[in-house]
Amino acid sequence: MSDALPFVVAGWGVILGGLALYAVTLLRRLAAARRAAGDEPAPHEDRG
Amino acid sequence: MKTRILGAVALLAVAAASVNALFIVPADLNQGEAQRIMYVHVPSAWLAYLSFGVTALAGIGYLWKRDLRLDHVALSAAEIGVMFTAFAIWGGMMWGQPVWGVFWQWEDPRLTTTALLLALYVGYLLFRRLTDDPHRRAARAAVVGLVAAVDIPIVHFSVEWWRGLHQGPTIGSPDRILNPAAPMQFVTALLAVLGAFTVAWAWLMIRRYQLAAAEARLEDAARRTRVAAARRATVAAARAEEATR
Amino acid sequence: MSGMDAIRTDLGVAWAIARKDALSELRGRQAAGSTLFFAALVLLLFGFALGPDTRRLTEAAPGLLWLAIVFGGLLTVARLHQLETEDGALDELARYPVERRAIYLGKAIAGLGAMLVLGGVLLPVVAILYGIDLLGAAPALVLALVLGSIGFAAVGTFYAGVTVRLRAREVMLPLLMLPVIAPLLLAAVKATAAALGGDPLGELASWLQLLAGYDLVMLLAGAAGYGFLLEE
Repeated sequence: MSDALPFVVAGWGVILGGLALYAVTLLRRLAAARRAAGDEPAPHEDRG
Repeated sequence: MKTRILGAVALLAVAAASVNALFIVPADLNQGEAQRIMYVHVPSAWLAYLSFGVTALAGIGYLWKRDLRLDHVALSAAEIGVMFTAFAIWGGMMWGQPVWGVFWQWEDPRLTTTALLLALYVGYLLFRRLTDDPHRRAARAAVVGLVAAVDIPIVHFSVEWWRGLHQGPTIGSPDRILNPAAPMQFVTALLAVLGAFTVAWAWLMIRRYQLAAAEARLEDAARRTRVAAARRATVAAARAEEATR
Repeated sequence: MSGMDAIRTDLGVAWAIARKDALSELRGRQAAGSTLFFAALVLLLFGFALGPDTRRLTEAAPGLLWLAIVFGGLLTVARLHQLETEDGALDELARYPVERRAIYLGKAIAGLGAMLVLGGVLLPVVAILYGIDLLGAAPALVLALVLGSIGFAAVGTFYAGVTVRLRAREVMLPLLMLPVIAPLLLAAVKATAAALGGDPLGELASWLQLLAGYDLVMLLAGAAGYGFLLEE
């Protein structure tokens, strides 16, 4: 079996990195949309 | 506030479970270090399926109740599902190269099914963008999502059958990690990552839903502005016409 | 209206729609013929792509045949739905208190007819170009063709209805359809190969059953989904 280490790193790295990237982008988009919408959350949402 | 706490918990859980899977749990006897990829590949696949199940159910819910909030749920689940599906394929490929010697193996039913899953839901997301009216979009998406969901068990079946006629690769079915004889520590490591990822999934769902709801409000406001502007223009044109008579 | 009467009316409507579509196809501005020609051309092109070794082509023949059927089929189901939108007739149809399922069924039947013609035309082309002997395998081959065509028509009619009013519909139809059609393709090719090869592994029946199951599920899903589409 060829040296698996680079693949383990690539596998985990891309996945954890991708998750982090998506999360950060999501938070940014959410902040921007809320600002644009005048920051009035609907009653059922929590602002946390 | 509660969502923030959830987010923090998710972050910690993912960190802890990852450290465990990567550094603490010993390597597999047969597959060596490569097997560690399974700890992130399998949960990704499960969360992908969970997500698409939610998409289908939310779609049915919309068709029944016509509540756009359900469509927001469907959209969020589909987007997050596509991400986890991509992760699952990536993980499968990264596992495949050291273990099988190739990145892709047509005889592996999981890989091929997951590839089709990705195709189905990328198509769903692209399809959504082509309709502007929120209710029409929601109804069309629900219907497309439903047929996609119905297709998945069929794909499973047929790809398994397809493979069955050639003996599957004897080394390394990716699911060996789940067989009854697997050491407890491996199973725990897998469940830990699964639990952590699921918490992260829940947090992502909430945030993505909030984004969808905010964007819907923006779309709505923009539409009302356009309609009002059009109305004013019509009135102005009518007045101008009156004046010239 | 009693249950049986309702079904009879549905079938009547479906049949009427199927006949109307079939007549349009026959009278149509050679669009149907062009599609047949295109599919045959695809088979020719495969020969250039994979030849000149006939053995490779013979082995690949079932797959290539079904790919050509799929490509021709995409054009066919799209065209059958275009007939109505051009005049806004689809909206007219939707307004009648006719069960939407009947409309779906009618269009699917028309689609099936067109697919069978397509398959029928392509079989001799495959036989000639790829050196396949068809006669020995005739009954099983026809069955595979029919079952595969039913499935394609069922799925295709649904997605053609979904995409007919969209922008970018030329690409959306195949984009949405092809992943759903993958199991059908897989099974149809396997069944065809088994039929042509004399079924050495005894798998023909299994594949035909899978095709039949697929057809049933997709007809039901397609009919159910189509109803919601026309409601807009």
